[in-house]
Amino acid sequence: MPVSAYLTVSALLFAIGAVGVVTRRNPLVMFMSIELMLNAVNLSFIAFAHFLNSVDGWMFVFLVLTVAAAEVVVGLAIIVSIFRTRRTVDVDDLNSLKG
Amino acid sequence: MLFQQISFYVLAVMALGSALGVILFRNAVYSMLSLILNLLSLALFFLTLEALFVATIQVLIYAGAVMVLFLFVVTMLAPNANDDVTGRDRLRWQRSAGFGMGIILAGALIYAAFTGALASDARASGVASLAAQVTANGNTQAFGLALFHGYAFPFEVTGALLVIAVLGAVALGRRN
Repeated sequence: MPVSAYLTVSALLFAIGAVGVVTRRNPLVMFMSIELMLNAVNLSFIAFAHFLNSVDGWMFVFLVLTVAAAEVVVGLAIIVSIFRTRRTVDVDDLNSLKG
Repeated sequence: MLFQQISFYVLAVMALGSALGVILFRNAVYSMLSLILNLLSLALFFLTLEALFVATIQVLIYAGAVMVLFLFVVTMLAPNANDDVTGRDRLRWQRSAGFGMGIILAGALIYAAFTGALASDARASGVASLAAQVTANGNTQAFGLALFHGYAFPFEVTGALLVIAVLGAVALGRRN
């Protein structure tokens, strides 16, 4: 398969993730959509590593995996603490910084 | 070659279908399970692109550890929360606008994938692929050599990032 096929799948996954972030109002689902976008970029990195004969793409995927894990940990901790004080997980209800 | 094409199309359908499931399911738990299917199909994509080690850590770390944490929080916070009940009215035009923008974004990205400089470089470099380096050293060894020779400093910064994330999670999760 040519590299454009993999890049097309990656672009579609990225766009689906962006639509999820924009349209959903549950912060957990928004997080999942962000994970979708990160993974779409990972796919294009791996495809470029394969077609450009370089392992640099693998390194970037490794770093993206690490950053995504850290981001999930901190983000979920924030969501849990918001739920503890506000008893809701809907981003439209969370419109003030003051708890 | 035929097997490669068939596996590509099967995996592409699986990845795109499960990605649509993530954003279309009303129940957050179903979205979560759909996301796990998406991550597994991407790991299979990585296997077909000769990135064995990356596919392994994708399954072990991402689809395993991170998603278990995610699923735990989802079942704890929103077992049957569906944003359909209160969400439909205030989101009617926003939702269609979001999908329209998404289609425009996908079109722009696919246009770049077919005409961009990097993509044409990748097409020009042929099919030699990583095979030489990987068969000389083994997949994991090629990964490790690249990581600790060219990317040692980013690797160390990654360690610092993980420590900071753990400290932040502990500070946020503490009950006071």
